[in-house]
Amino acid sequence: MSRLLLKFEKTNLKEVPLGSQPVTIGRAPDNDIQIDNLAVSNYHARVYVEAGSLVVEDLNSLNGSFLNDMRVERAMLKDGDSITIGKHEILVDQIHDATAPAQEMRKAPAPRVNETMILDTEQRRKLLDAAAAAGERSQLAPERLRVPTLTVIGGRTDQKEYRVSGKMTVIGHSKMATVRLRGWFTPDVAAQINKHDDGYYLGRGDRIPKINGASIAGPTKLNDGDTIEVGRVRLHFTFRD
Amino acid sequence: MYIQAGARTDLGRVRKNNEDCYSVDDGLQLYVLSDGMGGEAHGEVASQLAVQTVLTHCRQGANSRSTPLFGEASPDVSERTNRLASAIRLANRKVFETASADADHKGMGATVAGVWVDGQKMCVAHVGDSRVYLLRAGTLEQITADHSLVAEKVRVGILTPQEADASEMQSVLTRAVGTSPGVEVDTDEQMLFVGDTVLLCSDGLTRMATDPEIASTLLTSSSSQEAADRLVDIANDGGGVDNISVIVLRVLEKSEGLLDRLKIWKKYSG
Repeated sequence: MSRLLLKFEKTNLKEVPLGSQPVTIGRAPDNDIQIDNLAVSNYHARVYVEAGSLVVEDLNSLNGSFLNDMRVERAMLKDGDSITIGKHEILVDQIHDATAPAQEMRKAPAPRVNETMILDTEQRRKLLDAAAAAGERSQLAPERLRVPTLTVIGGRTDQKEYRVSGKMTVIGHSKMATVRLRGWFTPDVAAQINKHDDGYYLGRGDRIPKINGASIAGPTKLNDGDTIEVGRVRLHFTFRD
Repeated sequence: MYIQAGARTDLGRVRKNNEDCYSVDDGLQLYVLSDGMGGEAHGEVASQLAVQTVLTHCRQGANSRSTPLFGEASPDVSERTNRLASAIRLANRKVFETASADADHKGMGATVAGVWVDGQKMCVAHVGDSRVYLLRAGTLEQITADHSLVAEKVRVGILTPQEADASEMQSVLTRAVGTSPGVEVDTDEQMLFVGDTVLLCSDGLTRMATDPEIASTLLTSSSSQEAADRLVDIANDGGGVDNISVIVLRVLEKSEGLLDRLKIWKKYSG
């Protein structure tokens, strides 16, 4: 949950949680944050969430709204920002939550090291090691040492069992398919399995495959023991030693 | 099916020279994009040399399959993908040698992202933070993993994607073409379907535009070229802090041209 903290000369006056509704700031009593000071307009500014980002907007106030001492009409907010209205300060206290997906956030031009630079291997290893020691590293899945296998449990295919090797495994009628489906009207590429660094992902082809009975929405990571359905063919995905 | 390609590169609004470079070879269905670095016009030397080398090596490989691969072939991917990866390794060697031979060019390097379409299969290889995206059934998926410090930190779970987007370390690459004698090239393969759109782009686009903006632009453009132009405009409207390059590939249903119909007619009329 994020919140706004209203402060006056270092004293906390009020705390307003940020929800889906805009938070209004002004001198009139019906504001969410009322500031009874003549320097503040009746409806001075508001703070709201837009496309996953927190935004402050000045409502054409007489004396303006200031974000970190810069006068703004409309600006994106981040944790720790300070909005100054009159002599009052409003602090943005954004507690990290997972409700704002990164994709929806409007990208601010990130401050950047002016020129692109490249780390040499040694620097890179040091930086990543240090960073990994600080955080938890969860990528070393034991599956990676084992062979992913598809076992046919229903439908017509050319073999009963397939090893999934390589970057891409095609399921379909095509000559280049690993798992070759038989029968009339079977599509050349019904589905595909792509190997990524962190595992194997099932993606659609001319059919939308199912995993454990549910149609996939996009490329979906396969777990040990999953059942894949492509048309009438059913496959069991397992990791073998 | 056939590929309709559209492409554009642009200086952006801040930089003084364009260090990006791209190439579209419709005959080979080979598409390569590179973002150079090194400052004082050397970045463009690196990116042009990289693109040219990839193109030449792939053309040679297409003409004569016995053209030796540069570096080790991977059993995980097809011959075509191995050829593309080999071309990028060769580009690395050439840029590195040029940089080492001339004090002026020291430190130059480049990203390379390449896509080579082989029938229904798309071969992908890359080094650096230029990206390849696949838009399928309305969903935009980045199919390359950036070789940048922030992206590697996100992958091991140390940074959130939000933190990565805000980081000032975004320009720090962990892999590039031309900065060391050897380079590891990432490869991928995907089957393509009619209706798919593939996007190759430099970070000048992805820093200025969000994935939903990119997806909606690709979905609402009437041609690949229109999509490429609009993406560049979006990046410039967002600030254009870096050079912007995009190649848009739309997978369309093959309409039978007059020549095809003649061939069919000839076949059946004996």
